[in-house]
Amino acid sequence: MTAPQTNLLQGTLDLLILKTLTLEHLHGLGISRRIEQITHGAFQVKPGSLFPALHRMEEAGWITSTWGASEKGRRARYYELTNAGRKQLAIETDQWSRIALAMQSAMLAT
Amino acid sequence: MSLLSRAGFLLRNIVHRGQTEADLNEELLGYQRLLIEEHIRAGLSPADAQRKALIDIGGVEHVKENVRAARNSAWLEGVWQDLRYGARSLRRVPAFTATAVVALALGIGASTAIFSVVNGVLLTPLPYRAPEQLVTVMHNGTDPVASLNYFDWRAQFKTFSSLSAAQAWSPNIAGAGDAERVAALRLTANMWTTLGVAPIVGRVFGENTETAGRDREVVLSYDMWKGRYAADSAVAGRTVLLDGDTYTIVGVMPNGFKFAPFWSRNAQLWAPLALHDRAGSRDDNSLRVFGRRKDNTTLAQARADVARVTSRLETEFPRTNSNVEVTPLLEQATGGMQRPLVVLLVAVSFLLVAACANVAHMLLARSSSRQREMAVRIAIGASGARLARQLLCESLLLSSAGGLLGLLIASSGTKVLIALAGSTIPRAENIQLSFVVLLVTMFVSVATGLLFGLAPARNAMRTELVSSLKDGGRVESAGSANAGFRHVLVASQFAIALTLLIGAGLMMRTLAAMHDVNPGFDPHGVMTAEVSVKGTPSSVAGNRLQFYQQLMEKMSQAPGVQAVGAINHLPLAGDVWGLGVNIEGAQAVDRAERRSAVYRVVMPGYFRAMRISFAEGHDVSANDRWSSEPVVVINEQFAKRYWPGGSAIGKRFALSGSESRAPRWMTVVGVSRNTVRSHWIEQPEPEMYLPYLQEPSYLENQAGRYAYLTLVVRTSGNPAALASLIRSAAASLDRGVSVSSVKTMDAVVESTSADRRFYLVLLSAFAMVALVLAAVGIYGVMSHAVSRRMHEMGVRIALGASRRDVMELIVGRGMLVVAAGAAVGVGCAVGLTRLMNTITYGVRPTDPLTFGGVTVFLLLVAVIACWIPARRATRVDPLTALRGD
Repeated sequence: MTAPQTNLLQGTLDLLILKTLTLEHLHGLGISRRIEQITHGAFQVKPGSLFPALHRMEEAGWITSTWGASEKGRRARYYELTNAGRKQLAIETDQWSRIALAMQSAMLAT
Repeated sequence: MSLLSRAGFLLRNIVHRGQTEADLNEELLGYQRLLIEEHIRAGLSPADAQRKALIDIGGVEHVKENVRAARNSAWLEGVWQDLRYGARSLRRVPAFTATAVVALALGIGASTAIFSVVNGVLLTPLPYRAPEQLVTVMHNGTDPVASLNYFDWRAQFKTFSSLSAAQAWSPNIAGAGDAERVAALRLTANMWTTLGVAPIVGRVFGENTETAGRDREVVLSYDMWKGRYAADSAVAGRTVLLDGDTYTIVGVMPNGFKFAPFWSRNAQLWAPLALHDRAGSRDDNSLRVFGRRKDNTTLAQARADVARVTSRLETEFPRTNSNVEVTPLLEQATGGMQRPLVVLLVAVSFLLVAACANVAHMLLARSSSRQREMAVRIAIGASGARLARQLLCESLLLSSAGGLLGLLIASSGTKVLIALAGSTIPRAENIQLSFVVLLVTMFVSVATGLLFGLAPARNAMRTELVSSLKDGGRVESAGSANAGFRHVLVASQFAIALTLLIGAGLMMRTLAAMHDVNPGFDPHGVMTAEVSVKGTPSSVAGNRLQFYQQLMEKMSQAPGVQAVGAINHLPLAGDVWGLGVNIEGAQAVDRAERRSAVYRVVMPGYFRAMRISFAEGHDVSANDRWSSEPVVVINEQFAKRYWPGGSAIGKRFALSGSESRAPRWMTVVGVSRNTVRSHWIEQPEPEMYLPYLQEPSYLENQAGRYAYLTLVVRTSGNPAALASLIRSAAASLDRGVSVSSVKTMDAVVESTSADRRFYLVLLSAFAMVALVLAAVGIYGVMSHAVSRRMHEMGVRIALGASRRDVMELIVGRGMLVVAAGAAVGVGCAVGLTRLMNTITYGVRPTDPLTFGGVTVFLLLVAVIACWIPARRATRVDPLTALRGD
């Protein structure tokens, strides 16, 4: 676990969580593993920031949770996207692309 | 959508707090188990896997705390915590809390109660259609009008859509149970158009009823309908016996309908006023005239119209249309009350200000003693906003506790006010707790709490942390802005207390002056009762005299009874009829100086029963009959006015109005002392007392106004015990006879000063509260200053200051504040007492005795309040004070 870690930018966590949930519903550990996976280990989400974000987003109505059984039959709380969450994802993706593009062109400027 | 979702979760977080927490717990446990399994799969031993999982999670409780903080109920929980903390810290200072809450509650409660009265009496519209258009048209504003004038006005006024007249009537109503006299009015039929109120049952009477014989219709009040007819909806068409005549009930007025609002307020019946068959007269002043202004006319136009018509009539019929005034009905109904209520309102607003000042300076005092607490909290990382929120919660607690208690005081206070003043305040039935006012007063107090509650936070953020922690918040420079402001607050409390005390003092002097008035009779030990024979067999000529004589005979035999008499109109309580008199041998005078006197008819024994003494001569006797020579007793004022400088005994005069016949000259046999007439305080007028046995109208006339007498019985025992005796004695002679207005003479006298006593009670109560607040205020400020300056006092004493010096220093400083307040207070009092000039009597509004006495009293209280903490300062042991900590 010594992969280079990057501090999450403010607001990026929400975007990442929404993104991971587009394909399937996941439980907390599943979400953080998927984030590690899709960012090639650049972001490791600790429960201390993951759970507050999940609960906050649930209250905002972007995701919703249900109790289900894990692969091994353990009781776990699964999160999935709502319609509002999908809209939010579109907004944030759009925003992020613009920021990334802007940052990139700024860095390339001479 | 999002808002809805948030609201739903907010509710869940608050209501199902336990379930939310349990879910969170299970979720984290599940996370932990999955993590452990993952580690085991990676090849770790179960023990290592568990340890590693815990490290990865980084403290379950920490995670939970983060989640809780992310929830949208987080701020609410914070507030809740602050409230609990606030309640705890307020409980730690019970004296502070109790004083602040009680002061606020009194301020809020009293002002709400008084404003509720003002609202009900002065501001609630009268229960008629477009009541602002209604006016009365009467001589001098309140004096009744003659029938011929009424007819002329009705025909000639151009600015009124209708003009109606009413006359008082108190018939005996017969039916089930004892005969009873009820308050009633006779109205011209167009009064219903003027008032514009429809009956809820049946109809009102029409114009065709205004002739004698057809006037036997009656409209009932809602109360009478409920009480006597059990709200029978088929009551219209039933008959009722009034003064022995059969009347048909035609309708019932709605609940809350009262007429007239300023006189005969409790009328239960309204019957037609048959004016048309009266021999029209410009002398029979017995009508109250009510008009409705046309839609597009102003009050000024109506006044001009009335002035034009009446001045023309005045030229045509001299001295019949003078001083006709148009008064808005609401003003007529509340006229006398406006000024006193304004005085009370001003007084109670002062009280609210004093209460708020009290809370303000107590919060300020608390703020300086909490400087250290605040500094510590800032030092360990509390943000300013966080501190402010906590302090606001504390003030809010204080204000709401005061507000709730104030609500209690207001609701019971309003009831007490109605009970105290129901009979003296017109329109008391409209008084109810005004919630708008309650909200406004609570807002004022909460705002005060918030404003001054923030002071500690402001102070804490302004002060330098280190110094404030170092000196432990013990030393406060005497001249700090905070202390200065508190002095202003305390001074203003003294100003208010002084103002209210002076107001109360003036009322006290007024009542004392009224107590000293000699009414001309001795009210103690006298019972009175109106006994009406109207409509009974005893009313018949011949029977009537016998009935009253037998009744008086029966009463005089009762144990303890010393004297029994009877009179047509009892002073203070009864009617007052003025009749013209012709003095024998005097020159005829023109109408303006027409000689008149108050007409009273007495049974022998009246003067003895009332203990009215004679300046000259003697009482009438049972031998003064119709057949014997007419005699009369007059009062001193009569003698003084019509036979100045010489004895009136043996002089003769006759009642005017019978010029066509030979005058029936009456010889004066006695001159009695003057008595009060209809008000406790008034100038004496000529009065005459004719013997009942020589007054044919009283012996024979069947009209209700002649068919009753007021029995006056003096006893050596408790007069109230005679009430049932009078009733049973009357009933044993004739069951149909009605006995009403059974009152002791003391009660009659008391009712004439009831209004002023009411103002005294209220003003004194307000003044006492204000005084206590001011005393608590100055005591608080001084003892606070003393405890802050213990160190300084120790130094002074160590350097050789005597205890007397220290005492003078402390008390002198306090008294400076008080004196400033007292000076302002005297100024305010001059303003307030000027408003009081209509309710004071026998004392100038700027009575030096009251002003001086009250000021001295107040200064004395202040000296004591300063002296107690000052004494503490003189007892400082210089060593202890200097050693400090």
